[in-house]
Amino acid sequence: MLIPVIIGVTFIVYSIMFFTPGDPALIILGENAPEEQVEKLREEMGLNDPFIIQYLRFLKNALKGDFGRSYSTRKPVFNEVFSRFPATLKLSTAGLLLAVAIGIPIGIISATRQYSLLDSITMVLALLGVSMPNFWLGLMLILLFSVRLGLLPSGGDVGFASLILPAITLGTGVAAIITRMTRSSMLEVIRQDYIRTARAKGVAERRVINKHALKNALIPVVTVIGLQFGYLLGGAVLTETVFSWPGVGRLMVEAIKQKDTPVVLASVIFMSVVFSIVNLLVDILYAFLDPRIKSQYR
Amino acid sequence: MFNRRTFLVLSILLVLVLTLTACGSQETGGSGKDTLVVAQGADPKSLDPHASNDQPSSRVNKQIYNTLVEATEDMEIEPSLAESWEQVDETTWKFKLREGVKFHNGEELKASDVKFSLDRMMNSPEVAHIVGAVESVEIEGDYTVIIKTKEPFAPILAHLAHTAASILNEKAVTEAGDDYQNNPVGTGPFKFVSHDAGDKVTLERFDDYFGETAKVKTLVFRNIPEGTNRTIGLKTGEVDIAYDIEPIDLDKVREDDKLVLIEEESLSTSYIGFNTKKAPFDDVRVRKALNHAINVDEIIEVVLEGAGTKATGPINDKVYGYNQSLSGYEYNPEKAKELLAEAGYPDGFKTSIWTNDNPVRVRIAELVQAQLKEVGVDVTIEEVEWGAYLERTAAGEHDMFILGWVTVTGDADYGLYALFHSSQHGGAGNRTFYTNAEVDQLLDKGRTSIDENERLEAYAKAQEIIVEDAPQIFLYFQTQNAGVQSNIEGFRLHPAGHHKLVNVGFK
Repeated sequence: MLIPVIIGVTFIVYSIMFFTPGDPALIILGENAPEEQVEKLREEMGLNDPFIIQYLRFLKNALKGDFGRSYSTRKPVFNEVFSRFPATLKLSTAGLLLAVAIGIPIGIISATRQYSLLDSITMVLALLGVSMPNFWLGLMLILLFSVRLGLLPSGGDVGFASLILPAITLGTGVAAIITRMTRSSMLEVIRQDYIRTARAKGVAERRVINKHALKNALIPVVTVIGLQFGYLLGGAVLTETVFSWPGVGRLMVEAIKQKDTPVVLASVIFMSVVFSIVNLLVDILYAFLDPRIKSQYR
Repeated sequence: MFNRRTFLVLSILLVLVLTLTACGSQETGGSGKDTLVVAQGADPKSLDPHASNDQPSSRVNKQIYNTLVEATEDMEIEPSLAESWEQVDETTWKFKLREGVKFHNGEELKASDVKFSLDRMMNSPEVAHIVGAVESVEIEGDYTVIIKTKEPFAPILAHLAHTAASILNEKAVTEAGDDYQNNPVGTGPFKFVSHDAGDKVTLERFDDYFGETAKVKTLVFRNIPEGTNRTIGLKTGEVDIAYDIEPIDLDKVREDDKLVLIEEESLSTSYIGFNTKKAPFDDVRVRKALNHAINVDEIIEVVLEGAGTKATGPINDKVYGYNQSLSGYEYNPEKAKELLAEAGYPDGFKTSIWTNDNPVRVRIAELVQAQLKEVGVDVTIEEVEWGAYLERTAAGEHDMFILGWVTVTGDADYGLYALFHSSQHGGAGNRTFYTNAEVDQLLDKGRTSIDENERLEAYAKAQEIIVEDAPQIFLYFQTQNAGVQSNIEGFRLHPAGHHKLVNVGFK
């Protein structure tokens, strides 16, 4: 399934980039370049060929692992994208960790004290967390922690301290989603018969929740975490922009602005592959959490 | 709280994140007094000066490389790698190289490196046009370079001072091959350490520099695309110098005691071009009328927050050859109406103005629309995407368009020839399709004459005619700026935009 999806994605992206106005050769050389130079470069880059020829040529090379060179830096595109990936991975992982560390415990507490004041407060906060646009949150955090308090760097990738604000920005929305998911999943599980049985046996409440209920409640939560991780890897675009974070998302935004088609395509393909791999990993993780799934594949 | 497996997964993620953080980068942001952090709005495209001609790259390359001659902050040509030069005949220039100059890889600068660099430059589509006048480069021994031009070309020194004419080490380029831009080697005051794509470039003082060595040990160029974030970086002290403070942030920097805002007029002009081939702009009276109808001061005040100077003509006083006696067009809507009536448009006309998505240009277009309405000219604004914008204005599809020009070499030839010579119609630069035989002749004379006075005279006359013919609405010369921490000393803006940092240090 992965391969047809990726080919479809590249076709759409390639068409969009191709049919938006603007000549890459002119963008590379700038407004002051003489006409002959521009024409020479256009010829060199094969920009005078029809759309379908250009697309097929791209596809042929891409299948061989050659994504071409960036229009603007002239560096091999794949290196360009790959060199930005650690930054994105670091940020997404930190954001996700934070979200999990906040989301799951709060979700559990909310579920065990359903309709309490605490539950209402956390649910309102979670609603806020989901609704808040993260570029806005990012700016507010910068304003408070960097400008007012001077505690944390406002952007860039300059060591651990610079990771904190973007991770919070990125993690907040996800934390809210995980909280809600954990809560509803827990609520469903603790009404099951086996939980009542466990309680009836006299198992300590703590153990009932942590051992018997949580493990079963976690399956849908893990799905959500996996999907969210995929989104974080591809969707950190806004956060990366606000915090000048040198990741793949910002590379893609800059490439779109410059109509740097090879970089845009490579980023999109890269993101799709990463997303698919994360989904695969989540599926594998299920087997650990739920032996029934493992036994299905035997 | 968690079961064992979840705990395991989380621990793995935690270890991963910490490992990545640790290998990510050494601490560079701190303002240790030996590290200068400079923020600009884009990542350099390439540290190979022949591979790209964008401002962010030039700003870094300026620190790594030297050119044969150099333009000072006052746009005077000074010796750099060439300690002296002479013009042998109309088309031949002889340069004597400084001896004992070391490249960052330990090699000594030889004439062969200069020939290699300039030949390489002439074969690069990105920058060849800067040395388009050069016919050949020859060497005589190890320290003499002879440059021949195709025809007499007076502004050659200004062109050789361009950062794209940087001198590279032949051995380093040949050895590195395709990978050269990741291992740039120059003779400049700073040597290359690393380039974290999209994030920063780190340079280090070169102790064998032929001139006075740099004041700081480490120089970091950070890429902070959002203008507001650059200002925030200044305010939090993460950044020592921030280039190009946005108009909206200027007051914030001005009002901060710990910061200094440095502003200076640049070589960059903005203009509204007419399509002089198309009615009604083929009538000089209409073009003049519109020049009178635009209130440039208001544009500077509203759009640029004051960061510009009204243009009296196509070039300003930073440029060699500027005509000081020009006074430009004053704002006078009454006169504009009279001129329009004279040209046969007593009730004005309908036309369009093009702009790309650059927010400054869009706002200018809006103001122009409002101002022209007062003299009866009804303007529609069309926003055109950049690549298409250049293409279609080159093809002459426009009525009016807003564009800029930077006279990077600081010589009138660069500022006038491409924009007003009739051989340059379209993509070469003359997008107004202005044609005037006398101006052509004067610009040719300015380009080829060896006599300085003759050149100055030709350019003075040419500017006079151009202003009189008004193929453009001459708008303003943009002020360039930088926000600087108050403990920084030795920083000056260079009119061409690539500021020298060798003399910058902490108080």
